[in-house]
Amino acid sequence: MSNLFPKSVNKLPLQIIIYLCVLVSIVTAGATYYMTPKYTRVGYAPIQPVPYSHALHAGQLGLDCRYCHSNVERSGFANLPTAQTCMNCHDQIKTTSPLLAVVRQSYQTGQPVPWVQIHQVPDFVYFNHAIHINRGVSCVECHGQINQMDVVAEAKPLSMGFCLDCHRDPAPHLRPRDQVTNLDWKASSPEAQLEQGKKFVHDWNVNPPQSCSGCHR
Amino acid sequence: MKRQNFHPAPSQRELHGPNYWRSLDELAQTPGFREKLEREFPAGAETLAGVDRRHFLQIMAASFALGGVGLAGCRRPEANILPFGKSIEGFVPGLPVYYATAMPQRRIALPLLAETHQGRPTKLEGNPAYEPHGGSTSLAAQASLLDLYDPDRATEHTQNGNVLAAAAVADLLAGIGAAAAADQGASLAFLAGASSSPTRARLVGALRAKFPQARWAEYEPVADEPPAAASQAVFGRNLRPIYRFAQAKRVVSIDADFLQAEAGSLYYAREFAKGRRVKAKEDPMNRLYVAESGFTLTGSMADHRLRLASSRMLGFAAALYAQVTGDHAYDALAQGLELPPGWIAECAADLAANKGQTLVLAGSHLPPAAQALAYAINAALGNLGATVQFVEPAEPAALGIGELAAAVRAGAVKTLIILGGNPVYNAPADLGWAELQKSVPQVVRLGYHRDETSGAAAVNLAAAHYLESWGDGRTLDGTVVPVQPMILPLFGGLSEIEVLARIAGEANADPYTLVAATIGGLAGGDGAAAFQRFLHDGLLAGSAYPLVAADFNGGGIAALASAAPAAAAPSKSSLEVRFVADNKVDDGRYANNGWLQECPDPMTKLVWDNAVLISPRLAKDLGIQSPGAMLQVARDETENFTKGKEGAPLAELTVGGRTITAPLHIQPGLDNYTLIVPLGYGRTAAGRIGTGTGFDAYPLRTAAAAHVAGGATLRLTGERLVLANTQEHWSMEGRDLVREANYDEYVENPTFVKEEGMESETPPVLGETGGSLTLAEQAAQIPRGNSLYVTPKFDGVHQWGMSIDLNTCIGCNACVVACQAENNIPIVGKDQSIRGRVMHWIRLDRYYSDGQADAAAFGGEGNRATPEDPQVSLQPIACMQCELAPCEMVCPVNATVHDEEGLNVMAYNRCIGTRYCANNCPYKVRRFNYFDWNLRAIGSFYLGPAGPKGMPELVKMAKNPEVSVRMRGVMEKCTYCVQRIENGKIQWKVKSAQAGRPGDVSVPDGTIKTACQQVCPVEAIVFGNILDSGSEVSQAKARAQDYELLGYLNTRPRTTFLAKLRNPNPRMPDYNALPLSRVEHDRKNRPAGFQESGSAPEAKPPGSAMATGPDRLGGLS
Repeated sequence: MSNLFPKSVNKLPLQIIIYLCVLVSIVTAGATYYMTPKYTRVGYAPIQPVPYSHALHAGQLGLDCRYCHSNVERSGFANLPTAQTCMNCHDQIKTTSPLLAVVRQSYQTGQPVPWVQIHQVPDFVYFNHAIHINRGVSCVECHGQINQMDVVAEAKPLSMGFCLDCHRDPAPHLRPRDQVTNLDWKASSPEAQLEQGKKFVHDWNVNPPQSCSGCHR
Repeated sequence: MKRQNFHPAPSQRELHGPNYWRSLDELAQTPGFREKLEREFPAGAETLAGVDRRHFLQIMAASFALGGVGLAGCRRPEANILPFGKSIEGFVPGLPVYYATAMPQRRIALPLLAETHQGRPTKLEGNPAYEPHGGSTSLAAQASLLDLYDPDRATEHTQNGNVLAAAAVADLLAGIGAAAAADQGASLAFLAGASSSPTRARLVGALRAKFPQARWAEYEPVADEPPAAASQAVFGRNLRPIYRFAQAKRVVSIDADFLQAEAGSLYYAREFAKGRRVKAKEDPMNRLYVAESGFTLTGSMADHRLRLASSRMLGFAAALYAQVTGDHAYDALAQGLELPPGWIAECAADLAANKGQTLVLAGSHLPPAAQALAYAINAALGNLGATVQFVEPAEPAALGIGELAAAVRAGAVKTLIILGGNPVYNAPADLGWAELQKSVPQVVRLGYHRDETSGAAAVNLAAAHYLESWGDGRTLDGTVVPVQPMILPLFGGLSEIEVLARIAGEANADPYTLVAATIGGLAGGDGAAAFQRFLHDGLLAGSAYPLVAADFNGGGIAALASAAPAAAAPSKSSLEVRFVADNKVDDGRYANNGWLQECPDPMTKLVWDNAVLISPRLAKDLGIQSPGAMLQVARDETENFTKGKEGAPLAELTVGGRTITAPLHIQPGLDNYTLIVPLGYGRTAAGRIGTGTGFDAYPLRTAAAAHVAGGATLRLTGERLVLANTQEHWSMEGRDLVREANYDEYVENPTFVKEEGMESETPPVLGETGGSLTLAEQAAQIPRGNSLYVTPKFDGVHQWGMSIDLNTCIGCNACVVACQAENNIPIVGKDQSIRGRVMHWIRLDRYYSDGQADAAAFGGEGNRATPEDPQVSLQPIACMQCELAPCEMVCPVNATVHDEEGLNVMAYNRCIGTRYCANNCPYKVRRFNYFDWNLRAIGSFYLGPAGPKGMPELVKMAKNPEVSVRMRGVMEKCTYCVQRIENGKIQWKVKSAQAGRPGDVSVPDGTIKTACQQVCPVEAIVFGNILDSGSEVSQAKARAQDYELLGYLNTRPRTTFLAKLRNPNPRMPDYNALPLSRVEHDRKNRPAGFQESGSAPEAKPPGSAMATGPDRLGGLS
């Protein structure tokens, strides 16, 4: 019988295999790059109902984080300020500004300001702020340089890998407890940070949970 | 062929936007994207059409971060954070707030601490400030939380079906008061349940003062307190006894279920356990004699148990009285009583040998003569003032429902106010209450549900739950406790005191003001400060009733004795019916509570149903227990059990001319011809869970025979009803699951547990060296024995462990529902329960033993019939948190791992539902979510997505936000309340850091309590850090009778048990040298050394049944 297929088809299985491998690796690489939290979450900066600028309030004016996020040292959930907290100043400053209309309305009617949540972890993850703030982990480690952001964007992926990187080696991320909300604080050198961090780990018995029960309940 | 690409012509937008938007053309125009756009940019959405580039870029800025290559649909859902407008003092989102409150339960109140999350209560605990309860609660209190979130509760006030506004209700009630004033209240009547509230008492007094002719009636179908007539007869006053079980060395219970059913059972259980607990061999142990007709939890704790019909209890009391005092005045009552010879004599002798430290009590349902005789026996034994003390509760006089019915029948009542209760459902059947109620011209009913009574009332007011009301109550000893609301009434419900106040025309009917006034009056001095203190503490200090010195006068007994109903022994043709309040749904009030319906009955292990309990003798007589029936379901099938499902025969039960149809369940340990009929089921208007569940026994109940009725007959109908029985196991099959010994054997040989079980025959679990380490060293260093598996490093600051004392566990099931409330455990419904899919993380295993189970193997006739008079052993089982967990080794996706502190941890999001872990668990403590129990409605699981979806918003509020709610396909199990552990550690570390001691990270003992531990009234469950040798759990594990369950499997469980001890009297006729479960075990496992009962076995050398060899017990600690 004559050849049914041209000779060039002999190469076809090999070509298919190679193409498949290339395709799979492209898809894998693409997914790893584009579909992991480092890409999908970092930079997320939704528009908020009130154009609040951390750069102005926390940076320029020097408000401490805890003035508004008052329960960050007590509770697992770092609260957003109530409209009353805003009105503490804004019933004297910029009292008629249209940008603050939503806040004033919230204060008067009790209707909450619908802030869009930026930093989220899944419902089955239980993150606790108080333990981190009280144990020398600064806001900047997870939230980035908030005091320089006009619009808050998610600075870190907040994936499980991100959390474990610190939980497995907390020394590079610890600072003196009174500098936790000082977002501009830096150790004098990377070596100093490590040395200080190790000392904190030892003195404070820092032993962050690495097994599932630490965050998954 | 060369491809040609045809791109659509670029739009205006594209030409002005950046290049890469070309490929996102479709994306920019899909509705989903537009929707997302609109959600995120409320201001910018309308500017999308026809906008200039700068604006457009601003709007699109955020979309860059969306990872715009088509993954916008992969984003996690948008969420909003909604802070308050005005700040709320003391409100910290994320931290629970605790309020002291109390649960009213007939004539007493249970002090509670309610844990609220974000303004709603999610868990109830006992108030530790009230020392007699020590912070524990009962099963009913734990489950009452779910009632608050009952989607079937009444949500509006109605009149003839039309909704009434709050103002209209106020007018209506005021109008009633005004109308009643005209005739001094002669045509006004009230019917309420019992209550201990001083405020209600005060208002009733005000009503009486204003309307002297009005009738106030109280009705409770269940009798949980001794009748007043008894105390009146012998003390001349209406006194309430308070029993001090902790001081009693010998207790005789005459049909009194003081551990579960009687009022004050929580306090009594706790006190009884103090006498029961044995920490060292020098500790004494109390002894309990019980005479009962059913098999109650009190009976399960008994060292000597006599099965006797309830109608004969009066005779028993008379016989005991005669034996103790030598006074044969009431011997006529004991005529015809057939008791095992010597039972009463030896019992009385034992009592006499412990004068002043004994206790005799009679059940509240018995005729007053029985209680009077019990008081007489106590008086003769010198117990009055010592183990039996009295208080005089101040309660307003009330009519009974019979007297009220007579008034209604006579046409004297024109306005009837029904407060709570459910008389149409549970009034005595011979009253014909439903018709009577309909005959009253104006009926106003305050009810929590739209139930049977609501159907016969024109005006229905929605009641508020106690968790959303202001009120007060008194505990057993009279301490005043507050009822505080955790939340505003969800549906504008009214409380009892508000209704009464409005009718009485009080100026201020606000319940808060009413309660404050009452407390101010009781406290004296600065009323407002006292009230604040009262609300904070959860009790009013010093408000307990003073103890009353009671002068016993036996002269009144004769009158009671002659008034007592005559009793003939029940027989096959004339059975006796004992009506009992169900262990779970009480008199029917909790019928719509899913947690209680699914909680297995402590003895029968039935869920979602009630059944008439019959004795094995009667079953044989009826022919429904065929000869040769095997006990173990797995081995054989009988008519009653097919494929593991109980098919109960239906029968017609006729009492006094009234008939109902009910399933029969064979219950070992009953008096031969007594039927136990649980009340509270078969409701017709209870809501989605309670309606149609079980059968209604109230139609059989008449006022004269409300608790015990004779002359009953049974007729089988030939049909069967499948009952959901969650434990058919009637035997431990000779294994050493519950290890027991008699107290005498324990004193002689405290380490008897080491000689039981496989560990005495197998190589030492921890190896030669490991066994000699201390508990703390073992936990941290994990001696390997000969294990091949890599074990995790236990280097955490704490190592958690738990000890469960089987000697004190009374089987109340409070731990089961507490765990359910704390951990968001769903209910599954009757059908799934039959399939064995009940989700409780902690279960209570109940075993019967009569020593005959495997007798067939030894030439006896045993195991051929259900035991008639067995002993019961109870064992709570939750995840053992094994150090070498069999479940961890087999998970293909590593969803269950071990953490550094010894917990076996479950990561729900990783689980793929293989169920291999549950297969491998030897304790069978893992539970699988076969369906999404939360999302799908009970009864429609198999419809899947085609069925109704979603959980009512109200029920979602009951969930504890600290614990994940699991979805379909995920395995779950007890986690030692890991949320409490983590929160406890966090709070401790935060506290230490803020106090300047950041290095202090070890949580002190007792700070972290698991839900089951916190709720247990007898402190049977102890949890803590085993690295700390001074912690309570370390001390418990150091006791001689500590053992591991199935320890020879080398699982190294962190939960260990303390063996059960029984303290029988060697002189009693039913004395057994070994607990009957030991007889099964010893006979099977060491036949060579086994001795028949009658004498205590000599101490056997360890491993005697095995071949010779070196002593292999090594140094087991």
